Amino acid sequence: MSTTTRRIVAGVSGLAATSFLASCAKDAPQDTWQPKGSNAKIIDDLQQPVFAIAGVVGVIVFCVVVYCIIKFRDRGQAMPEQTHGKPALEIGMTILPALILAGVGVFTFRTVFDLSKTSDTQMVVNVTGQQWWWEYDYPAQPELGITAPIITSGQMVIPVGTKVLLRETSRDVIHSYWIPALNGKRDAVPGRVHTLRLDADKPGIYAGQCTEFCGLSHANMRMETVALSKEDFAAWVANQLADAKSPAENTLAKEGEAVFLNQCVRCHQVNGLKKADGSPAIAAPDENVWSGAAPNLTHLMSRNTFAGASWDLLNKKCRANVWGASSETVGKKYLAGVSEECLNQTDLRRWLRNAPAMKPMYADPTQLSSTNGKYRGMPNLGLSEDDIDKLVAYLSTLK
Amino acid sequence: MAIIERPATAGGVEIAPPATPSRAQGGFKRPVATTGWKSWLFTVDHKKLGIMYGVMAMFFFIVGGIEAVLIRLQLAAPEGKVLSASVYNQMFTMHATTMVFLFVMPMAAAFANYFIPLQIGARDVAFPRMNAFGFWCVLGGGIFINLSWFLGGAADGGWFMYAPNSGPIFSPSHGVDFWTLGLQITGIASLTGAINLIVTVLNMRAPGMSLMKMPVFTWLQLVVQFLLLFAVPVITVALFLLSFQRNFGATFFDVSAGADPLLWQHLFWIFGHPEVYILILPSFGIISEVLPVFSKKPLFGYPFVVFSGAAIGFVGWGVWAHHMFASGLGPVSVAVFSISTMAIAIPTGVKIVNWTLTLWGGKLRFTAAMHFAVGLIVLFTIGGLSGVTHSVAPSDTQQTDTYYIVAHFHYVLFGGAVFGLFSGFYYWWPKMFGKTLNEKLGKANFWLMVIGMNMTFGPMHILGLQGQPRRMYQWTEARAGEGFFNLAFWNQIASIGSLILVVGVLLFLINVVKTARSKELAPLDPWDSRTLEWMTSSPPKEHNFDVIPTVHHLDEFFHRKYQQDPVTHEYKQIATAEEILADQEAHADKHIHMPSPSYWPIVLAATLPIITTGVIYSIPVAIVGGIFLVLAMFGWALEPSTAPETDFDPPAAGESTKELAPLV
Repeated sequence: MSTTTRRIVAGVSGLAATSFLASCAKDAPQDTWQPKGSNAKIIDDLQQPVFAIAGVVGVIVFCVVVYCIIKFRDRGQAMPEQTHGKPALEIGMTILPALILAGVGVFTFRTVFDLSKTSDTQMVVNVTGQQWWWEYDYPAQPELGITAPIITSGQMVIPVGTKVLLRETSRDVIHSYWIPALNGKRDAVPGRVHTLRLDADKPGIYAGQCTEFCGLSHANMRMETVALSKEDFAAWVANQLADAKSPAENTLAKEGEAVFLNQCVRCHQVNGLKKADGSPAIAAPDENVWSGAAPNLTHLMSRNTFAGASWDLLNKKCRANVWGASSETVGKKYLAGVSEECLNQTDLRRWLRNAPAMKPMYADPTQLSSTNGKYRGMPNLGLSEDDIDKLVAYLSTLK
Repeated sequence: MAIIERPATAGGVEIAPPATPSRAQGGFKRPVATTGWKSWLFTVDHKKLGIMYGVMAMFFFIVGGIEAVLIRLQLAAPEGKVLSASVYNQMFTMHATTMVFLFVMPMAAAFANYFIPLQIGARDVAFPRMNAFGFWCVLGGGIFINLSWFLGGAADGGWFMYAPNSGPIFSPSHGVDFWTLGLQITGIASLTGAINLIVTVLNMRAPGMSLMKMPVFTWLQLVVQFLLLFAVPVITVALFLLSFQRNFGATFFDVSAGADPLLWQHLFWIFGHPEVYILILPSFGIISEVLPVFSKKPLFGYPFVVFSGAAIGFVGWGVWAHHMFASGLGPVSVAVFSISTMAIAIPTGVKIVNWTLTLWGGKLRFTAAMHFAVGLIVLFTIGGLSGVTHSVAPSDTQQTDTYYIVAHFHYVLFGGAVFGLFSGFYYWWPKMFGKTLNEKLGKANFWLMVIGMNMTFGPMHILGLQGQPRRMYQWTEARAGEGFFNLAFWNQIASIGSLILVVGVLLFLINVVKTARSKELAPLDPWDSRTLEWMTSSPPKEHNFDVIPTVHHLDEFFHRKYQQDPVTHEYKQIATAEEILADQEAHADKHIHMPSPSYWPIVLAATLPIITTGVIYSIPVAIVGGIFLVLAMFGWALEPSTAPETDFDPPAAGESTKELAPLV
C-alpha cells in the first residue's frame, strides 16, 4: 500500500470509532491489533482500512436512521407519497458497496497467498497438539546449530527475524495454534499437516491460546512463542541438546529422582535419566495416555510455564521481571531459567498433589471405558507430601 | 386433507367434490372437539399451531436465556467457579442449540404458520396434518435433547460439534447422542414444514396475487423454506454419520481409520451457513412489513428487497467455508470463499438501504413494533459490518474463535433475528389475540433490551480483539491486560448487560400476562396496516376469510382503504377496516370446507423419541417404536379426509357443507 493511501486511510480511520480501540490498547498479551512480526503485520495492514471503512459506513447508516427518526416523525403531516422506489438510486447503492468490496477483495487475495507461502522458510518446527498442551519437535537443522532433534513443550523458542514454518498436526482432536502478535491462527488437525508462518521482529515472550474448542480443558491449553536474539537462541539450543544431569548423591533431589523413576517416568521422558541398574529410563506414555504423549521434562526449568502453559513456574515477582523485560534484556533473563528462589512452589506443589483438581482432565480411572483405561491428561498420583518435597527438589534441577 | 381453495375453473374441467365418508375408517374416528385441551392437542389449524409453536419457542427462549446468564455469571470474574469445566461446556453447547433450533427457528415457524396463509388469502396451509406433525416433532425433539441434562449430562462439543471431539472416545456421555438424535427429529419438522409452506405459497394464493404482489414477509419466508429444504438434508446426513459412529461403531470421522475430520466441518457448515439466513430472513420479512406500516409508505424498492432476499438465498450456499478460514483449507479455497462472503454483503446492504429509504420521507409512528424494527436496522448493520471485517480471510484468522465473533453473531442474531421477532410480537399481537400489548411496557422492554444487548455484546468486540478466545470455561488475569481494554472490566460489563437483558425479556412476559388479563379489546386495524391478514376479524375465524379476497395490488388492504385522487394524486380514505370486514361478512362463502382435526400427527410424532431413546439405550425399544411408527403411518393414510357428519355435535343437518364454494 502506498504512503498516500496509507495517509488517507489513517485520516479516515481517525473518524471511525473503531480506531479508538487501537490507539489506547495497553498490555493485553493477546491483543490482535499489535503485530510484532511480519505476518501479523500484513494482516494488520489489511484489516485496519477495512475496520475504518466499516466504521464509516456504520456511522453513515446510524446518522441517516437518526435523521429519519427526527425529521420524519409523525407530526400530523399529510400521507406521504406512496413511492415504490427509485431503481437508479438502488442500482447505484448496489454497485457502490460492490466496488468497495472488490477493492478490499483484491488486497485480500494477495494477502491470503502471501500468508500461505512456504518457499522462503528458514527454519522448521513440528508442532503437535493434544489434550491439553503443545509439543514442539525441532528437526535437526545444523545450519541453525540444531545438530540433533529437540523436543520441548508449552513454550516454543525461535530466533528473531527468522522465517519459521510450523508444521502442525494433532494426536487426538482438533486444536488451533495462535500467537496473535505473530500471525493468525491455524488448526492442528489429526491426520493432516498444516503449515503456519511465524516470525518475530524483536526478542520477547508472545502469548497465545488454543482457539479450537478441544474438550474439557480447552481453556487451559495455552502457549507462548519466545523469540530470542540469534546468539541467545544458539545458547538455548546448546542447553536443550544436553542431557539432564543426575543430582548429587545424598541430596533431596537425588531422592526426588527415585520418586520420578518410580512414578513420573511412566509418561514423562527426561533425556539422560538412568534407572537404578544404569539402563536408560524410557517413558512409555502410549501405554497410559490416550494421545500417546506427555511433555518431555528434560529442561522443564528452562521454560517458565507448565501444564499446558497454564501456570507459571516463576513466582509473581520473577515473572514480572522476565515477562516485563525490554527486548534487549528479555533473552538473558529467559535463558536464566527458573532458579530455586524464583520457583512458583505453590502451583507446582498443587499440581503434584492433585493435577486434575487444578486442570480438569479425564483422570478418574472409573470413567475411562471409552479410552480403554487410558488417561486423557495427568491423573492424581496420590503422592505423599514427603515425595512432593523430593520431586520439587528434583524437578528444580532440570534446567 | 388439503383444502383446495381454488377449484380449477380454467378449461371448464369439473373437479369432483372431496370424498365425504359415511363412517370412520382406520382405528379411530377423527376428533372433532373445537374447545378444550383436545382441540389443541389434535388441531390442524395453522393459527392454533402457530400459537403453539410460539409458546414452545418462548419457553425454550427462557431456557436458553437462563443458560446464557449462567455462562455470563461464570465469566464475570477470572477463574470463575459458578460452573465446572464440564458443565460450562455443556452450557454453551446447549445455549446455542436451544436458541438456534428451539427458539429462533420455531418462533419464525410460528409467524410463518400463522401469517403466511393469512397474508396470501388462504384458509389454511396445503397439508394441515403435516403441519401439526411438524410442531409435535419440534416439541418432541426439543424435550428429547434437553432430557440429556438429567441423564448423565448434555452434549458438550459445541453446537458445531466438530469431529473428532464429538466422537464416542472424546465425548463419552450420552449428551451428544441425545443432541444428534433430537436434532434429527426437529429436522424432520423443518423439512415437512418447508414442503408444506412452499406448496401453500405456490398454490394457494388468493386469486390475483401474483408472486410480485405477495407480501414481503411471505416472500422471505418462502426463501427460508427453500433454504431449509436444501440445507436440512445436509445436516441430516452429517448427523446420521455421527450417530452411526457413536452408536454403531462406524468410523466416518475416525482418523485412525483413515477418515478426515474436515468432512464434518464441510457438511456442518454447508448446512450451517444457510442456517444463518434461515434464522435472519424471517425477521427481515417482519420488519419489511412493520416499517412501511408505521411509515405510511410502501416498502421502498419492493422488488429489490425480494430479489436481494432470493440472492442471499443463492449466494448463501457458496460461503460456508468462511467458517473454516483457519482450518487449513489452502489459499485458493480461502481466497474464493473470502470473495464470495464479501459478495453476500451486497444484497444484505441493499436491504439496509431499502429499509432506511422506507423511513425517508415517511410519517413515522414510533410504536413498540417500530422501535424494534428501527433497532434492528441499526444493530444488524453493526453485526453486518463486523461480518465484513471477517470476510477478509487474513483478518478472520485473527478474529475467528474469539469473542469478536461472538459479538458479531449476537448483533446479527439478537440485534437482528430476535429484535425482528419482538417487532412481530408487538405488531401482530392484536391480530392473534384481539388485544394490543401495552405500548408503554413495550417501549421500556425495547430500551432495556437495547441497552442490555449493547452492554452484553458490545464489549465482546473489545474482548475478542484483545484476544479472548471463545468457549473457555475460565479466563485468567495473566492474559487480561491492564489498560482501558482489560478483559476483566469488559467481561464484567458484559455480565451486567446480560442481567439487564433478562429484565427486558421479563418485562415482555409481564406485558403478555397483563395484556391477557386486560379486558380492553384491540381495534380491528390498530396500525392502519397494508396487507391481507388485517382484512379479517381479530383473532381470525377458523376459516380466516369469509370471502377469499381477489387481489389487485401489492398492499391490497391499503388499496381497499385508500384511493388516489386522479387530480391531486393524494390518497384519500374510502373505507374503514370495519366496513371492509362487514362487506365480507355480508357476502360470506356459503360452504366453507375446513380440514378436520386428527389424532395421527401427535401419535406419529410421539413414536420418534421412542425410536431415538431405543437407539441410545436398547435396540429392541427402537424396534418397538419403529413398529408404532409404521402403524401410525397406516392410521394416518387410512384416515378419511374429513370427519363424517354424524361425528359432529350437533351433527350437521341438511345440506352438505363439505364443498368449497366456487369463486366468482
